[in-house]
Amino acid sequence: MKRIELLSPAGDIERLKVTLLYGADAVYIGGEKYGLRANATNFTLDEIKEGCSFAHKLGKKVYLTLNIVFHNEDMEGVYDYISAVVDAGIDAFIVSDPFIISYIKNNHPNVEVHLSTQNSTTNYKTVEFFQKQGVDRVVLAREVSLEEMREIYNKTKIDLEVFIHGAMCTCFSGRCALSNYVTNRDANRGGCAQVCRFTFGVEGKKDFTFATKDNNLAAYIGNLIEAGVTSLKVEGRMRSLYYLATVIGTYREIIDRYYDSTLNDDILKVLEERLARVSNREVSTHYLLGEASAKDQYYTGRNEASNQDYLGQVISYDKSNKLVKIYERNYFIVGDTVELFTPKGDRLSFMVKKLYDEDMNLIDVARHPDNIYYIYLDTEVEIEEYSMIRLLHH
Amino acid sequence: MKILVEPNKKDISCYVSNCDALLLGLKNFSVLNTVSFSLEEIKDIVNKYSDLEIFVKIDKNLFDNDLDLVKDILLQLDKLRIAGVFFYDLAILQFKQELSLKLSLVWSQTHMVTNMKTCDYYYDQGVSFALLSKEITLEEIVDISKKSKIKSIVEVVSLPSVGYSRRKLVHNYYEDLGEEEVSPVLSVLEKITNKKYLVKEEDFGTGFYLDEVLNGTGVIKSLYEAGVEYILFREEGVSDFLLLIEDSKKYINGGCLDTSFVEKYKKLGDSTGFFFKKTIYRVKK
Repeated sequence: MKRIELLSPAGDIERLKVTLLYGADAVYIGGEKYGLRANATNFTLDEIKEGCSFAHKLGKKVYLTLNIVFHNEDMEGVYDYISAVVDAGIDAFIVSDPFIISYIKNNHPNVEVHLSTQNSTTNYKTVEFFQKQGVDRVVLAREVSLEEMREIYNKTKIDLEVFIHGAMCTCFSGRCALSNYVTNRDANRGGCAQVCRFTFGVEGKKDFTFATKDNNLAAYIGNLIEAGVTSLKVEGRMRSLYYLATVIGTYREIIDRYYDSTLNDDILKVLEERLARVSNREVSTHYLLGEASAKDQYYTGRNEASNQDYLGQVISYDKSNKLVKIYERNYFIVGDTVELFTPKGDRLSFMVKKLYDEDMNLIDVARHPDNIYYIYLDTEVEIEEYSMIRLLHH
Repeated sequence: MKILVEPNKKDISCYVSNCDALLLGLKNFSVLNTVSFSLEEIKDIVNKYSDLEIFVKIDKNLFDNDLDLVKDILLQLDKLRIAGVFFYDLAILQFKQELSLKLSLVWSQTHMVTNMKTCDYYYDQGVSFALLSKEITLEEIVDISKKSKIKSIVEVVSLPSVGYSRRKLVHNYYEDLGEEEVSPVLSVLEKITNKKYLVKEEDFGTGFYLDEVLNGTGVIKSLYEAGVEYILFREEGVSDFLLLIEDSKKYINGGCLDTSFVEKYKKLGDSTGFFFKKTIYRVKK
């Protein structure tokens, strides 16, 4: 039985590397054109090539979003761009426009095409239509339930990709131009201003908001695998390294434990708590088990918390002097209990006993984000680059 | 160029003399409607008004449990004198191909009908018409209408729909307030632009509308010259609607030369949507 794919977002080349090292089987990225995150960092052609090379050496894959809703002017240059990305080694394009799908399948038959969630595919007949056009995989609409996923798979046997974690749209994807009207930013060309998170006034009543809570299907990974889903997708090409390392590392563990039959309720609870620590919104399963309800949205204002857990990224470990060199992100002090976690999944909890600044002066407080600090740590565990440190408690 | 009207009332007799075609939402399978019609009602209208073209709107996002019924409806519509079916979900096109239906289809994916190549793609797949997006410019509309193989339809007067959610947003709002839902419609104010929107809950979800009439009467001449097949008037929220379509019909029959028509209908307001405004998607940092 083929193991399910864990698919991660990656906003830049460093995040691509980190998320693959933390256990993603594939990443999806945006190029400098034609993707739905026009204002993210995005990848140059050279970076796409570098990213594909890095992924392929690990036996992993890279997909490129080409999922804007094209206007006439966007068609200029798109053929050359597709060719250049194919030459860079891309494994699949994520596309919403059926004309572009047909162009890729006719001209680059060895590259996969995945139908973007922007098409809001919700039934097996639509899948059949796109199968005829040569689509290799369908990213289902976030409105599809578990039972509907199972039925679509059973009737079509196509590769299905499902969002399991991250932000949700309020409207059907592609069926929303709120951003166009309110901010003049084109939602379907990568300019979405997330107007569904704005606050609207209602005369004589409390403000109307309709922002959604985040999606979190961690407790249903086994059900999704059994329903025939091929790929589990995490949302968020603009998310941080720490977020990706934590979320992807946690889902990696959930998936592996499912296959090893070592996932139980107690372990799942711990893993869900780990996911909760990097989330700044409440979470819900939305449509997975049926109709979404009032509990899936924010009506009383958003309960968002700024996350200060992430203390820093490990640059190296000096075994002889027992010093972890870190790039600091948030304030911490001697006496804090922290957890160091590695891309391989090792976790070390310890109290910060000795702390040094970049000039090796002994200090009590690491108070300056973006500075280099050294933490004393005596361990035999291999501490790799891109390991991270989070606060457990002051 | 013909006039297509989406009515906001069930009695359609008042439209017969002034428009060429009606767009009727099919009950349980269409969204963003004020009224919808059962299949039996549509059959009666088709039989009763033989000079009127009837388009049927089946533009709900379809789920697996809708498909059997949709297939049956399409087979029945195929036997009727229907001018076309407006569709959002590609399952409809799949059924047309699979069942070799003669029924004409209208690609009606609201905000996604934005370029000529994709219009031509759908034409090659057997789709006859495209309702062009309201969020592209007049220049783009003219370009598509002149160059594409597909016949274009352009919405010119309406309260423009701007989004559709499967969620019951009005019901949920009142539930959260702990109040009884007094109406399925909320008027909300976007505070930065100071513009009002309508949030209307329906059986299958919630629609968003800009509470400001899209006034495309000033571009009808350009659409006429570009060879647009139909211009669409949606009645809901538009005052003196019957007079508007009567005047529009005369204006078109006169070759769109009567400048007093454009002057007269400036009264509909100065909201011209995206006809003369290009959206942006990259934000300078």
